[in-house]
Amino acid sequence: MLIPHPLLGPRDAQEFTYLGDARLIDRPDGMAEGAGAAFHDYLYLRDNPAGPHRELWYHEHGDRSWLVVTRDTTTHEILGAELVKGPGR
Amino acid sequence: MTDLIPEPALGADAPMRREIGAVTLTERTDVGLASLALRAAASEPAPFGLILPGPGDSVVLQDKGAFWTGPGQWMIEGSENGDFAATVAAEAPGCSVTEQTDGWVVLDLVAPAEALGTLLERLVNLPPEALTPGKATRTLMHHMSVVLIRRSDSRLTVMGMRSLAGSLWHALEDTAARLA
Repeated sequence: MLIPHPLLGPRDAQEFTYLGDARLIDRPDGMAEGAGAAFHDYLYLRDNPAGPHRELWYHEHGDRSWLVVTRDTTTHEILGAELVKGPGR
Repeated sequence: MTDLIPEPALGADAPMRREIGAVTLTERTDVGLASLALRAAASEPAPFGLILPGPGDSVVLQDKGAFWTGPGQWMIEGSENGDFAATVAAEAPGCSVTEQTDGWVVLDLVAPAEALGTLLERLVNLPPEALTPGKATRTLMHHMSVVLIRRSDSRLTVMGMRSLAGSLWHALEDTAARLA
């Protein structure tokens, strides 16, 4: 499987480690009202789609960047990859 | 105080060197290394006059060099073996600089361009254009993280973790021997 790294071009999937659903980026505010329920949903309620899925991959044996990879879970076709942007990146 | 002399990464008295067919494999002990990382909202420095390269690239200026290791991160190379990080830090004010010299084993592969290409086909899963002269990239080789720097058509530097120097040497030696 090849992952089209936005900066480095096609890279072997072996260079990456997989974390999971890209929704993990949207961590709830732990100090807000109803944080317990929000964290329950964040931690346990994940979609498990048959089809395109946005997921987090870490380029561990490369430039150590986090990518959001869109992968079709039924065919393993990689539909796109983008760098995770956020504080400190 | 005892005057201690550091041992080469491969553990011999002198740096290792082997010729296998058209390929010459040499251990380098004259390389000083320091990583340089930008802090938030910092502007890019130009240590030793080096224009820091973009993704997948390297630059050389006299006896200093730099290659890209990640967004906002580079490795600086020099011929100095003392406190290289301090030298780099003085050239890159406001940046995070960490000494790396003793963490790595640095091996040079010299071979005709064609032989080097054939060797790379067997060692790493990268398209040839990712390793044209001047390119530098981190990847997997025999399940080991390595940095490859293509100095020229006929010269490639392989950097790996010092603790796996022996395995890296073995992988390169073995592959070269099979092609010889």
